[in-house]
Amino acid sequence: MTTTRMLLSFLLVTTACSSEERRVPPPSPSAPPALAAATQTDLGREIDDADRRGTWIEVKRRWQGQQLRWSVTRQSALCKTENACNVAPFPIMRPALHGWMPLMSFAPGEFAKLSAACGTAEQCDFTFEGKLEELNISGEQPTRMRFSDVRIVSTKIASL
Amino acid sequence: MKIKTIIASTAGLAIAAAGITAIASSHREAPMIAEDQSVDNTDVYSFLSPTNPDRLVIVANYIPLLLPQSGPNFYRFADDARYEIHIDNDGDAVADWTYRWTFLNEVKNGNTFLYNTGPVDSIYSQNLNVNQWYKLEKINERSGQKTRIFNKAPVAPWNVGKRSFPNYDAVASQAVQSAGGTMSFAGPRDEPFFVDLHVFDLLGVGGSHTTDGVNVMSLVLEVPITEVAKDGRRPTIATDKTSVLGINASASRPQVRVLRKFRDADDYGQFIQVSRLGWPLVNEVIIPLKDKDTYNRSMPRHDVSNFGAYILDPEVPKLLNLVLNAGCAPTPAGGRTDIVGLLSPNDTAAADLLRINIAAGQTNAQSHFPNGRALTDDVTDTLLTVACNNGGAIGDGVDANDKPFGNTFPYLASPHSGNP
Repeated sequence: MTTTRMLLSFLLVTTACSSEERRVPPPSPSAPPALAAATQTDLGREIDDADRRGTWIEVKRRWQGQQLRWSVTRQSALCKTENACNVAPFPIMRPALHGWMPLMSFAPGEFAKLSAACGTAEQCDFTFEGKLEELNISGEQPTRMRFSDVRIVSTKIASL
Repeated sequence: MKIKTIIASTAGLAIAAAGITAIASSHREAPMIAEDQSVDNTDVYSFLSPTNPDRLVIVANYIPLLLPQSGPNFYRFADDARYEIHIDNDGDAVADWTYRWTFLNEVKNGNTFLYNTGPVDSIYSQNLNVNQWYKLEKINERSGQKTRIFNKAPVAPWNVGKRSFPNYDAVASQAVQSAGGTMSFAGPRDEPFFVDLHVFDLLGVGGSHTTDGVNVMSLVLEVPITEVAKDGRRPTIATDKTSVLGINASASRPQVRVLRKFRDADDYGQFIQVSRLGWPLVNEVIIPLKDKDTYNRSMPRHDVSNFGAYILDPEVPKLLNLVLNAGCAPTPAGGRTDIVGLLSPNDTAAADLLRINIAAGQTNAQSHFPNGRALTDDVTDTLLTVACNNGGAIGDGVDANDKPFGNTFPYLASPHSGNP
């Protein structure tokens, strides 16, 4: 047997073995939504699914870098400055299903716009458009994300 | 009668109510660390020295709930781990200084099973067969520069019993080391955290002092405030961001361990943080089970991004109400921003860091949780009261440690003897 044939045989055997050993993820429970209209609930669902199936890379590949439009809540205590603003993506009046609160990097003038609209309200709902610049998602570290170039679409002061 | 005992009488089960969350500060709090106890960071304390307010004391405890009579291989720090105390001095929740302990084991005679081969009257005694030593480094996290404070300092031995240590305290006191204004102690101490742990028997608590009589492994550090303050100067304006230090402890292990058939294991790879703690009880009761291990691996500066929603709507008051009708206030519509405020004094970044004000004029008397944490602080009662948020006080019925604390370094009480 020539060296080339031996090498090919070895490769075939190892490929076959690794194919057998590779974990085949169970089918996804539902088809992923089109990202143009995908909300934080959709992302949360996909992250939960990835935690079960080990498909974090696929979720990251699908979502990171996407332009999204989400409606979130600004708690004044956690969104104090242009460089230190985390927002609540889910209603907080329940045991939180997810701990993550996206960090915002605003387009020029947009944080001032948000501050002006929300005033001194402790919480203020707003819809924004922005790029999901970073999505840290893995089985090792907690989920964390950052939006860049955030532009305010609309605001609404929440009634307390 | 204190308010909390009134609550106890009214609810009938009030002590049990407190007990729902009256679990040890961070003892076996996450699934992975519960299986790796020698790097389990249990509590962090920090206060200004009672004898010199220009000095800062930090205590980091590891390895929970140790029975004094735990021979023949008594507890010690892991020699393949890093134990660290991190200090943020400018309010951004990023460590500016780190103190790192690494340990070395030494056995004088491997042909005996004995920890000591005769009575021990000195930490350097030939009769002390098993020794542990440590290196202490101070790391400037901005420049990466490391300064070695101690190269081979002794760890206090285990308090085996009266036959082995006729005068244990005299021997352990030799583990107090000093260099260039820094004092350090490493070794067993009485477990200073007081709580009723019967909560795990179907909430069967009743004010029992369940952490009495057990020990813990302590790292105690005392440094001039100027050693850790921003720009090496003690701040003068108490309300300034740089007047508040943010402290947490951690433990890290090498990423890969290879077990060998015919010799000891080998460790490889970078160090991975496996445990951390700033405030008591955060990972224990605020972070849900699914995120507890990732919490231990994560950094405080990311706490809001990672776990902010859990802080805004903690589970504790809901449980107290659901199980025991404790009358805790519902979460306000804006979330628990009061807790966020406690985590971010002087407008510092909110994070699970033990914050302590070190401005000129601050004294030991002001070092009480959440401004630092004194050994005597009943943090379980404080945190339950904050969590319940109904204007009353609530507690677990355990209000003090079994042993008195000292007024001089290393402040913690001597460990319980294995054979008193």
